[in-house]
Amino acid sequence: MSSESPQSSKPSLDLAKYANLPNQLIVGGAIGLLIGFFAWREQFLYSYLTAFMFFLSLVLGGLFLVLLHHLFDSQWLVPIRRICEHFAGLAPILGVLGLPVILIFAKSIYPWMAIEDPHSDHALHVKYALFNPTAFWVVSIALFVVWTWLANRLRKHSLAQDETGAATHTQAMRKYAAGGIVLFAFTLTLGVIYWMKSLEHQWFSTMYGVYYFAGSVWTTLATMYVLTALLQRTGHLAPVVRDSTFKDIGTLFFAFTVFYAYIHFSQYFLIWNAAIPEETFWYVKRENGIWWYLGMLIIFGHFFVPFLTMLRIDVKKKLTIMAPLAGWAWLMHYVDMTFNIKPVIDPEGHGISLSGMIQSIASMAFIGGFLAKFFLKSFITHAPFPQRDPRIAETMGVYVELESEAQAQTKSAKA
Amino acid sequence: MASNELSSSVKIAAPPRELEREPLVLNNRPLGWISNQIVGIIEGKTPRWWWITFVISALVMLLCPIYIGYLITTGVGVWGLNSPIAWGWAIVNFVFWIGIGHAGTLISAVLFLLRQKWGTSINRAAEAMTIFAVMCAGIFPGIHVGRIWFAWWLFPLPNSNGPIWPQFRSPLLWDVFAVSTYFTVSLLFWYMGLIPDLATIRDRCKNFLGKFFYGLFSLGWTGSNRHWSNYEKAYLLLAGLSTPLVLSVHSIVSFDFAVSQVPGWHTTIFPPYFVAGAIFSGFGMVLTLMIPLRSIFKLHDLLTVRHIELMCKVTLATGTIVGYAYGMEFFIAWYGGNPYEAYCFQNRAFGPYWWAYWIMISCNVITPQFFWFKKLRTNVVLVWILSIFVNIGMWFERFVIVVTSLHRDYIPANWSYYSPTKVDVLTFVGTFGLFMVLFLLFIRFLPLIAISEVKGVTDYADPHHPRGGAKGGHH
Repeated sequence: MSSESPQSSKPSLDLAKYANLPNQLIVGGAIGLLIGFFAWREQFLYSYLTAFMFFLSLVLGGLFLVLLHHLFDSQWLVPIRRICEHFAGLAPILGVLGLPVILIFAKSIYPWMAIEDPHSDHALHVKYALFNPTAFWVVSIALFVVWTWLANRLRKHSLAQDETGAATHTQAMRKYAAGGIVLFAFTLTLGVIYWMKSLEHQWFSTMYGVYYFAGSVWTTLATMYVLTALLQRTGHLAPVVRDSTFKDIGTLFFAFTVFYAYIHFSQYFLIWNAAIPEETFWYVKRENGIWWYLGMLIIFGHFFVPFLTMLRIDVKKKLTIMAPLAGWAWLMHYVDMTFNIKPVIDPEGHGISLSGMIQSIASMAFIGGFLAKFFLKSFITHAPFPQRDPRIAETMGVYVELESEAQAQTKSAKA
Repeated sequence: MASNELSSSVKIAAPPRELEREPLVLNNRPLGWISNQIVGIIEGKTPRWWWITFVISALVMLLCPIYIGYLITTGVGVWGLNSPIAWGWAIVNFVFWIGIGHAGTLISAVLFLLRQKWGTSINRAAEAMTIFAVMCAGIFPGIHVGRIWFAWWLFPLPNSNGPIWPQFRSPLLWDVFAVSTYFTVSLLFWYMGLIPDLATIRDRCKNFLGKFFYGLFSLGWTGSNRHWSNYEKAYLLLAGLSTPLVLSVHSIVSFDFAVSQVPGWHTTIFPPYFVAGAIFSGFGMVLTLMIPLRSIFKLHDLLTVRHIELMCKVTLATGTIVGYAYGMEFFIAWYGGNPYEAYCFQNRAFGPYWWAYWIMISCNVITPQFFWFKKLRTNVVLVWILSIFVNIGMWFERFVIVVTSLHRDYIPANWSYYSPTKVDVLTFVGTFGLFMVLFLLFIRFLPLIAISEVKGVTDYADPHHPRGGAKGGHH
């Protein structure tokens, strides 16, 4: 009833020489941030927030893919599910890295926090129940507690199933996923409102949570594609990854390219068309100076380039095209986060400053280095893919006789 | 790295018994049985229940010409419209029917592209439902223009009246293009999918007329390798073309409201929220129609409990997305600090139309939550009852959006209350008659389930399966 896959292959890639890269990123990033902290405080804070929101996308994107797998009882995600679980498991690390800066320097980051009498500002007064320092602190921490708890519960059962193969773990994960998806939607929306939308607390859009979600999953899928290819070549995922794995990740990546464009277009179009000043000011500001060019880059680079590139089915299986595209996706998502965050400190869009560049790179390196370090630690201490997932035969595209079929055959033979 | 050593090979095992997937065709039904079962519905004697339902539906359908005729000869004053509620049931009904028309192409195109094989048992009937629903929807904008003899002004036709052109900036005009394109492509997709099955019926037909018409419409299909190859390519292309259309139609319908500055209408989440709602209502209607047909035609082995469960899950997912959108609208109305927006939502929940709002919430948000539980998803009768609540809820959603935002606008002196007239109600009832007449004709003359597609998801079509020709345990 079971068998060994013939697909195990010799590793063609050794990443050992890059083992120290996360540490180098952390140290390099820390030096850059330290300089920024004293020399360019504003750039430091906003670049750090941008990097935080960027990596939050990967953590929540990973969590979403795990939830998706269990909710849809899918088979194609099996080879990358463990990576997604580790991504989601980075939530507490990101919380520790990000929250102290955001919470301690909240007054310097969020203009609404600096308003002395919140009731003198109508936009703040109406939502004071949510927009007050205590709620901001409590909710911010609570969100990371929820994500950590959910990610840990899912990974715990997943790892336990490696040992036992018991169906009860799948059933438990499905239950966590069912409740988890509701929690996920609620907490992601709250998080993005607090940490990004509240930078301009007068502005509002019902689409904003969906918008961040679409971009997050998009970037996560790009990341998954490259990681899967790398780990296949190192031999870790070689036994389970097939051509169809890349095609499936690529297809969803393509679908989210369209979904993100649809969501962002709808948000922009409806605000532009209604032309209500309390909404349009957000986009009007982003038509100034450099922000206009970044906006164009988002239209063409976030949508048209990946859309046209991935339109053909066979492209989704070509690493030579997909790997640069994934790198491009990282850049585009970073541009998107910048487009949301940085106009607060440069409403006229004067341009890219050296301090801004250094702080952006340093923040990405510092947080990214830490996350990479913890990801690798989790990855090497556990099996690289779910060892006894009930859908493994379907993943591998092979027929294995089912217990029910065997029973039926025995019955008919006896008869 | 100790545990990574585990990965040098992968142990492929069958899933535990309790996690086995139910097959999409039960009891290992052979391919011939599938043809007999589905074509048998057409070949058999017309059942008495069909005639009774058909006659009743046709009589109900007559309400349409009667009341539309009355409307045209008298004017839109026969409707319950007043100032400021210039949009009433006609628009509600239009959006309702368009929403119903979403499931068919979604099932055929999107599920096909996502390699969801379970769509094969329901796609044919769902596509038919789509086409008939869009036909019902199309009636309302046509008669809403007031002077129906000017309905052709909806189209940008060259003319010597100035010339007068439609307002290209209006989403109502975009609706004309979106809905007509969607209808055309859906019809084409449906017909193309029918071709191999029409050929099956043609080959089995004994009477001349049947042979002639089924032969004519099966376009000389022989089932050759070349035919199948072209068919599969065309199917994929049409699926790719239909998918953005599915999303665009209801997005544009949502623009009818969202581009305005009316509180309760102008909200950026409207496009995906409307699409989710449309899929929700479409699946609700598929369940309502297919569950009785499954029993009547004894299709339990082809339209299994697993199919029903999966449809329930889609309903649950889209219903919950709709719930998220309802919540988000309320939240942002408070968050934005716009008193008109905030009042609009308070008025929806606690104003004169509170009953409509809470019917909507109960049916669209609470009802699908029952589908979290397997025990309830597998209770077919209960699912059918809940699917009716979904249909009711989605009509009320459109009513709430249209009427509650209009009846109390910016100037309190204009506030009014809207009630439909007999003409409003009976015209809408008449469209149900039209829908049922068309659907009954469909199940009588065309295969209710896509024969060739269902055969394609059986074990016999799987080259890895021993029943599909593979030798040994696995390959």
